[in-house]
Amino acid sequence: MTVLGEIALWIALPVALWGAIVSFAGGRTGRGDLVLSGERTVHVLTLLLVVASLGIIAAFLGNRYEYFYVANYSNRELDTYFKVAGLWAGQRGSLLFWTLLLSGFASIAVFRNRRRNREFMPYVSGTLLGLLCFLVIVLLFADVNPFERMGFTPANGRGLNPQLQNYWMTIHPPTLYLGFTSFAVPFAFAVSALLTGRLDSRWIAVTRRWILLSWFFLTVGIIFGMRWAYEELGWGGYWFWDPVENASLLPWLTATAFLHSIQIQENRGMLKVWNMGLVVTTFLLTLFATFLTRSGLIESVHSFAENLRIAYIFLGFMGGLAAFSALLIVHRLPSLRSENQIQSFLSRESAFLFNNLLLLGITFAVAWGTLFPLITEGLFNQKINVGPPFYNRVNIPIGLILLALMGIGPVIAWRRASPRNLRRNFTLPLGAAALALAVLLATGVRHSMALATFTTSAFVMTIVVAEFWKGTKARARIAGEGALRAFASLVKRNRRRWGGYVVHAGVVVVFTGLAGAAFDTAVVQELAPGEAVTVRSAFGNEYRLVYESLSHSRPRVAEDARENDWRWTALMTVYRNGEPAGIVRPERRFYPVMDQSSTEVGIVSALLEDLYVIPSDVDLDSGSDRVVFEVKTLPLVPWIWSGGLLVAIGAVVGLWHPAPVRARIPRRQGVGGPLPAGAAGQMS
Amino acid sequence: MKNGRFFVGLVGVAAVVAWLMWTGISDSMVYYLTPVELMARVDEDPTFHEVGVKVSGRVVEGSWERGARGTGTHRFVVGDLERPEVLFTVVYEGVLPDTFNDTAEVVLEGTYGTDGVFGAHTVLTKCGSRYEAAEEELAA
Repeated sequence: MTVLGEIALWIALPVALWGAIVSFAGGRTGRGDLVLSGERTVHVLTLLLVVASLGIIAAFLGNRYEYFYVANYSNRELDTYFKVAGLWAGQRGSLLFWTLLLSGFASIAVFRNRRRNREFMPYVSGTLLGLLCFLVIVLLFADVNPFERMGFTPANGRGLNPQLQNYWMTIHPPTLYLGFTSFAVPFAFAVSALLTGRLDSRWIAVTRRWILLSWFFLTVGIIFGMRWAYEELGWGGYWFWDPVENASLLPWLTATAFLHSIQIQENRGMLKVWNMGLVVTTFLLTLFATFLTRSGLIESVHSFAENLRIAYIFLGFMGGLAAFSALLIVHRLPSLRSENQIQSFLSRESAFLFNNLLLLGITFAVAWGTLFPLITEGLFNQKINVGPPFYNRVNIPIGLILLALMGIGPVIAWRRASPRNLRRNFTLPLGAAALALAVLLATGVRHSMALATFTTSAFVMTIVVAEFWKGTKARARIAGEGALRAFASLVKRNRRRWGGYVVHAGVVVVFTGLAGAAFDTAVVQELAPGEAVTVRSAFGNEYRLVYESLSHSRPRVAEDARENDWRWTALMTVYRNGEPAGIVRPERRFYPVMDQSSTEVGIVSALLEDLYVIPSDVDLDSGSDRVVFEVKTLPLVPWIWSGGLLVAIGAVVGLWHPAPVRARIPRRQGVGGPLPAGAAGQMS
Repeated sequence: MKNGRFFVGLVGVAAVVAWLMWTGISDSMVYYLTPVELMARVDEDPTFHEVGVKVSGRVVEGSWERGARGTGTHRFVVGDLERPEVLFTVVYEGVLPDTFNDTAEVVLEGTYGTDGVFGAHTVLTKCGSRYEAAEEELAA
């Protein structure tokens, strides 16, 4: 199976090359047979990459340690589950997996649009195949071939990094990769629009849902990553401003900007060049996020492998793509003129534009901070780092303005907001914000950034709820429906808009959760079995944790060990304000194959806060059962995850297919017949 | 209106972001040095002893004196990655990361005192090189 996979990867090269050439040739000459051949090639390529990926998984499952990649990321005792995930555990496999996903999305895009958008398709499949061709060449020739064999077979693999042996870590990278690779489709359509000269907002209408799909995966992927860090890195944080995290945030920021700016182009025919720039930038950033950070070019505690050659290859490729896209855009500048102008500062265009500028500002600041050591080394031959204070300083104020704009943007009028429009939409929310501020101050909250966040959140949430309420009421009155029914049909009639509101509500909840970090409390204490530790949270809850016992699974004779890891598990009973509130089992694990230990925290989640127990020090050698525990209370952390869920739900509502894609025109009806309503424009 | 407002907005946002970035950098910038560079710096300018720095190096095997019970004080020696003979003692109070051992590649943050001891307030381990072994290593 593995050999078959390797052969499939080699066949993929001429296939991708052929497909890219005939697609472009077909586009230029208008020859249908070439175009068709190119489109079929995409599906063949996907099939070949599936076989190649299955080959790698088979090698993991079959403990084929003569393969360099398998030997480095697996061992005999590893769970089957993590062996399958080995496909994306390291750089080589990730690259293959990434290529597979890109090809899969290319297949879907080609299949769905083969009849609808003929004029775009040759260059769309050509662009995607060109990208795939590059990736396959890198896989085969740039020293990252996952099928590389060594001249010998080690008895066992070196094992998987303990920190990666976590549920969230197995689903976090694939989700992010789905987001990265699906963004190639809007990019390909943009390139095709530039090449064919069809520069109206058609390419945006076609790819609108692809953009949202990609954004959905990126968002969920980032949240999974935060969740992983929270559970696995064991200090109660979820975001470190580490280069790898930053790199995944960058395309998310520009994709978010893009998601908003295309609405201005669709509604007002403005920002055409800007949108082209954003789609190209976002796609380049997805490449940056996947390959450059993993290559070791940027110093990160997360870079698991150093391969500078890959960094330079990708840097060159990205440079080439950027130059090519820039040339195309410049070439088409005359057709990308704006059809309208901004009329007033108080308008939706202006709010959206402002949102875009701020998102790009954050993108720039984060990129700058991430690349700062490289920049200073280049300029002054001296690496200088910036830490979390830099990111917080820049991003918290801008984030707060963006938060406020999330409320303002969707309800302010297009073109020019009248005083009446402003009064009607903002009186109640401003009142709610003022009330929230007064209540918070009265209860003794003094942290300025937290106050600003909670107040702004109240403002935005009120707007969102009021919109739903007004919409439902109007619908119930007009259609004579009950409240629930009216609500459902309201959302169904404009999923994009109402889905957007749900996303905004989710983001508000996430922001509120993030601000909770201002009120963390912590206690460190060494305990013997039977002893207890007490900690008080910002919400006034008193937690008492009784350390009951320590059990361990370490075998008597180390050589007999057939387990992947040995565990020392502490058992603690938790009381909240004297009431039993569950048990926690914080744990230390030792991985004999890796010769490393890891910490598994114990978490008790409530509606408003998490209790987070870290077994800071467990004596693995002497058999003593005295343990040093660090116990933290983390207010509002659960809100981050539920807010994330709300964002995901909102995005899915927006993605859900609007009933008929294209209203079917009865065959008999003459060409000149009237089109059913909604037939135009509603394409995806 | 024309594009004027657009540019005013652009310049305004750019100015605010630039100002935030400038102050943010001056608040949180840290020199990132190798032990060799650190030694050269303090020789050149003794006031550098008070400047917070980030240093990467490798723990010298056998030098790790474990602190008592978790929150105690750890002492270990860190050497330059390329010139291992350039080294200094590190004192760190707190919990070391899971991946720390006495051959780990580490990134330290703290100050290098005039007594020649590096007082670290943060110790991070880099797993990089450990995870993708060279073929020769696997053969062993």
